[in-house]
Amino acid sequence: MQITNRQHLHATPDRRDFLYGLGASLGSVALSSLLQAEEDGSPSNRATETVHHPARAKRCIFLMLEGGPSHLDTFDPKPELNQRHLQEFTRSGKQQSAMSSGKRYFVKSPFDFIKAGECGADINSTFEHLQTCVDDICFYRGAFVESVNHPTACYHVNTGNRFGGDPALGAWVTYGLGTDNNNLPGFVVLPRTSYPQGGAANWSNGFFPAQYQGTPLRPEGSPILDLNPPARITRERQRDNLDLLAALNRAHLAQRPGRSDLEARLNSYELAYRMQTEVPDILDLEGESAATLQMYGIGQTKTEPFGRKCLLARRLIEKGVRFVQIYSGNWDSHDYIQRAHGSLIRAVDQPIAALLKDLKQRGLLKDTLVVCCGEFGRTPDNGQRSGGKSYGRDHNADAMAMWFAGGGTKAGHTIGATDEIGAKAVECRHHIRDVHVTLLHLLGLDDNRLTYYHAGRFKQLSQFGGQVINELIS
Amino acid sequence: MRIFVFFSLSLAFGFSAFAADEPSVGEKLFALQIKKIFLDKCVSCHGADQTEIAGGLDMRTREALLKGGETYGTEVLIPHNGRKSFLYVATTRAEPGYEMPPKEAEQLTTEEQNWIRQWIDLGSPWPSVKMVEHIQNLYAQGKTVATTGGLADEWTNRRYQSEDLWAYRPLQVEQVPASAHPVDWFIDRKLQQMELTAAPAANARDLARRLSFGLTGLPPNTQSGWPTVSEFSAAYERDPDKAVTNYVADLLATRQYGEQFARQWLDVARYADTAGFANDYARPNAWRYRDYVVRAFNQDKPYTQFVQEQIAGDELESATSESRIATGFLRMGPWEQTGMSVFRVTRQQWLDDITDSVGQTFLAHSLQCAKCHDHKFDPIPTRDYYRMMAVFSTTQFAEIDTPFLPNENKTGFKQASKWIQNKIAAYANQRDSLNQKIAKLKKSENGVAQIGDNGLDPGDENSLARIKKNIARHTWEREKTEPIAYSVYTGNTIQRVKVNSRVVVPANPWNKGNLEKDTILTGGDAYAAGDPVTPGALSAAESLGQMSMSPFPTEKGQRRLALANWITSESNPLTARVMVNRVWSWHFGQGIAGNPNNFGGTGKPPSHPELLDYLANWFINNGWSVKKLNSLILTSRAYRRSTQHHDLQTLLKKDPNQGFYAAFHPRRLTAEEFRDAMLAVSTELNPAVGGVPCRPDINSEVAMQPRQIMGGTASVYEPDPLPEQRNRRSIYTEKIRGLRDPFMELFNQPGPDRSCELRETSTVAPQALTLMNADEVQDRSLAFAARLIREHETDLAIIQEAFRIALGRQPTAAELGQCMTHWKSCTKRELSTHHEPPHYPTEIVRTVMAEKTGEPYNFVEFMPNFESYVPDLQPSQTDPRTRGLAQVCLVILNLNEFAYLD
Repeated sequence: MQITNRQHLHATPDRRDFLYGLGASLGSVALSSLLQAEEDGSPSNRATETVHHPARAKRCIFLMLEGGPSHLDTFDPKPELNQRHLQEFTRSGKQQSAMSSGKRYFVKSPFDFIKAGECGADINSTFEHLQTCVDDICFYRGAFVESVNHPTACYHVNTGNRFGGDPALGAWVTYGLGTDNNNLPGFVVLPRTSYPQGGAANWSNGFFPAQYQGTPLRPEGSPILDLNPPARITRERQRDNLDLLAALNRAHLAQRPGRSDLEARLNSYELAYRMQTEVPDILDLEGESAATLQMYGIGQTKTEPFGRKCLLARRLIEKGVRFVQIYSGNWDSHDYIQRAHGSLIRAVDQPIAALLKDLKQRGLLKDTLVVCCGEFGRTPDNGQRSGGKSYGRDHNADAMAMWFAGGGTKAGHTIGATDEIGAKAVECRHHIRDVHVTLLHLLGLDDNRLTYYHAGRFKQLSQFGGQVINELIS
Repeated sequence: MRIFVFFSLSLAFGFSAFAADEPSVGEKLFALQIKKIFLDKCVSCHGADQTEIAGGLDMRTREALLKGGETYGTEVLIPHNGRKSFLYVATTRAEPGYEMPPKEAEQLTTEEQNWIRQWIDLGSPWPSVKMVEHIQNLYAQGKTVATTGGLADEWTNRRYQSEDLWAYRPLQVEQVPASAHPVDWFIDRKLQQMELTAAPAANARDLARRLSFGLTGLPPNTQSGWPTVSEFSAAYERDPDKAVTNYVADLLATRQYGEQFARQWLDVARYADTAGFANDYARPNAWRYRDYVVRAFNQDKPYTQFVQEQIAGDELESATSESRIATGFLRMGPWEQTGMSVFRVTRQQWLDDITDSVGQTFLAHSLQCAKCHDHKFDPIPTRDYYRMMAVFSTTQFAEIDTPFLPNENKTGFKQASKWIQNKIAAYANQRDSLNQKIAKLKKSENGVAQIGDNGLDPGDENSLARIKKNIARHTWEREKTEPIAYSVYTGNTIQRVKVNSRVVVPANPWNKGNLEKDTILTGGDAYAAGDPVTPGALSAAESLGQMSMSPFPTEKGQRRLALANWITSESNPLTARVMVNRVWSWHFGQGIAGNPNNFGGTGKPPSHPELLDYLANWFINNGWSVKKLNSLILTSRAYRRSTQHHDLQTLLKKDPNQGFYAAFHPRRLTAEEFRDAMLAVSTELNPAVGGVPCRPDINSEVAMQPRQIMGGTASVYEPDPLPEQRNRRSIYTEKIRGLRDPFMELFNQPGPDRSCELRETSTVAPQALTLMNADEVQDRSLAFAARLIREHETDLAIIQEAFRIALGRQPTAAELGQCMTHWKSCTKRELSTHHEPPHYPTEIVRTVMAEKTGEPYNFVEFMPNFESYVPDLQPSQTDPRTRGLAQVCLVILNLNEFAYLD
């Protein structure tokens, strides 16, 4: 059996490992056509857009509502819970954890729901802005995961593997498609100041080479670690240092013909130098109109942090970044869900609506896939809390809140359903792996063909294969 | 797919002239090829699970195939018309959406596609099971392998291509002439066959750096007492063989040798100081395992003993503190049990993890594949997977009292304890005042509580929870200075709701809990018990390797000891090959067998199988001594070759993957070597060996960033207060799964969750940013400059020394001139620059999101280490000349020549 990864040959310091700047500039699939072109002697500056099959989306913005947002209190109302409110709830099953034991009772949603848009989508009325976008959204109620622990469920949604250590979705997409901008990473993460449980493994390159790792643009301090030298070293001095470095490196290289690894490393310093101006340019929102800033809620304490990230996401994809993941949280509302979820909804509502509208008005929504979900949903019931009952919910892997917009998804539809109390997805029910397969499909990638040989087998995002959820596709 | 039996159709035609009861060509084709393709590639979706037959197409019988499926009915199989039959068309992948098999990696070869077409053209005959067996007995090529048996007879009786079974066969040892170096005997023979000439010998400087980093992870010319590059060069000129032999011996005798080899072993074992997942709890005693590995290499412990101690150090007759510490290996993977997890599931997670890790580490077999089904490529039945797992089903976690050995380093204890104590005290103060406040404000809640009904600020409630959690975390962490081993015992499995503190060994390990039932778990599902199994190992290695066998104990027996003995048996065909291949790969950057963790049919087969077997046999005959093996390999001419080949064109043409060792492969320093080398040239490196993990300076923004854990926020990362505490070798820095040192990650240090068989090298621009800009690198440059100025007088001597120390050579006239000019101009600018000493606050305000309100709240955290923090040398403490030189030093540390080993 001849086993090689398209991108990756171990035996030699292969130049393909060194072509890239911050991220992979060309993905493996794109790269193979590039190399083919080189071998044919034809021009080799760009790979084609078409990869495994015609893509509906060229890029993805993934809104990760970390902590487990409640589907029952956002997009999947269950009037039945009003009837059963505070009645005792019993659960059985072999997989009992401490969370699901003890005395439990049903909890109705403390929120009002409306039917919004022409499609009449169900939405918590607190989403004052997003309710005006529902005709561009495909709500999905059929997804489920396997774990009720935050980090394992986050790993599952982000990497397809509950136990972590595998490449994230964004890494797979970048591996497949690359990025259009050599000066920027293909996969960018906009985390909260506080990283999620499980940490940076949520945007890991896993068994891929390092250039596929998600690069966090940090909300505070230096956006990219070590982007700038200490204040005492001016840009002019930095340039002088780099000039000496380049001169010495060139002399060294001249005695070592054929060493593309050394040449790539030499060039990486110049790229780094360019990034020092490029990255702040992207982060600098000066050029945006007052109306745009206002639309995203920038300038209001409540919405500014998430608003900046949404606007940044738009700017990044405009610059050619392939996959942007934004974190919001913490949606883990075991108690006082009205206050906690209410406040979180108000923090993301206006920015998300602005992002969708902005993408649409710029003609980007049609080929930008927007995904929004958490790592699991929440239970229709709750346990006793500090001696009393409170409106809150525990973790539920069997149903979750999820929606898509743009990128070939079925706008203005609600697909799938949960049971009458929202405990379990029952209609168009699919494991998260099928969601992954569908997302890749929309991006022109076939999960069964986007493989990477590691530890004795060809690995794929879905682990062992999955199916496209056609109902979600327009 | 090499396991397929390649049987040409023309051969089949050759038999067709025989008697009437002779099977037809079509029947033979079916029995020898088609049936196997269907089974391997089709039936798992099309028939294996009768409740869920993909597309309604059942491929288990001819009748069902003729009936067809939902999309394609009778056109699936049109006898005598292969080209039109969809069964064939689908395999050509010409029909969008119906490429079969769906996974591209499993697609059929053109030859296989043609077999299907021809079989249909021949009328698609489907002989009986008996007939198939008859045909296979008569005509099948390839070899069956005796194993404990697959889940289906087809698997048990399947045939393998001979070359895929190399790893299970007994060693085949060729004679090598006494005058020849065995490594070169085999390598040169292949080069001659390939008509390739070898590159000349490397120059002395390159070789010294290669050997010094390879054996110790440190640059030459930085350690007192070690031969300098010029001393080595002089000796090398007189007598290269002797010079290399002596230099290798000198380096093998250093303590840093054990550190370098331990670092490489710990990549395979996945060492970390925390448990990962939601809590990422400290593993306070894991460091003793890390130091055990360093000692094992430094003492040149026979590899067999090294293996036995890690797998069964507690069960050995001669069990010692040392061997008990070694069993930490079994618990190196990430693992936790919280109130949110189901014990049966997490227990199974560990059983799967250890079965696979033992397979990868010692036997170069990724066994994970056999968890759900018989191995698709290798002769590893699912039964063997569960037999191996049964070895561990009586293995239980415990932190066991184990006295400190005289050679364990306890110097860090005081600082570690002090920090934890201060941290707990500070938290306790905050807790007490919060409690007082809460006692005053708290109202009792009745009925349905709304926020604020209890009278409390939700931020305070969160803080209280966070503080209590962190006190509990640090209280457990306190045990890092106690004589406890992170270890295991043998006994019943006791159900645990959560594990958030030390687990001790029960008085009677067979009293409480249950003896686990050892069965196959159908489809890998922890709740789907199948056939019972008894403890055992890989049956293919036993049969093909002609191993001398003794049965494994069951019940309360010492199962792990039996496995350890099985692995270290001289007749085990895998063990010596695996370790020899690892050591080779650590020196050459590639294994003789290309995947050091995978010797199965999907791993890269050995490029020089005779050499691998020779070395394995040599290793066994030399007392499984890793040091001796190192000497043998490193004294070869193959290792000593230059990286520059005189005829690059021909080399690339004939050996594009550079697998024949005509030239040496250059490599970049690993993440740890980078940091350690910088500390070594600046003389800041504290050479102490072992001890509790140290906390170096890491990127301060990452250090200060809040990190969510279950029920709160982990304590801020604080570097140790004193330079000598921080500036230890990288192997001794704390490995926190949830907070990796960004410098290490950036330079391809693998994550500690999976076994890493070999390091990768990527070159990305953020590496340049970090090496030019990071405080940690700036600090090294300044200390390097200060050291040079301290030790030498003239500018000329200083620059010459900088090159000698960092690069092991003298600068050229041009380099000297360029560096002098740069230094002067930097110094000139520094004359007018004023530097304030840095200020380190002892408190930090952190912002996190309150769970109950969904709103941010701030809290203050005390950082005791910053009360006595002494920074590394800072610009404010140096003169302009030193600061100017520091910029030259920074450039030197960034050179390709510093980063790469020729």
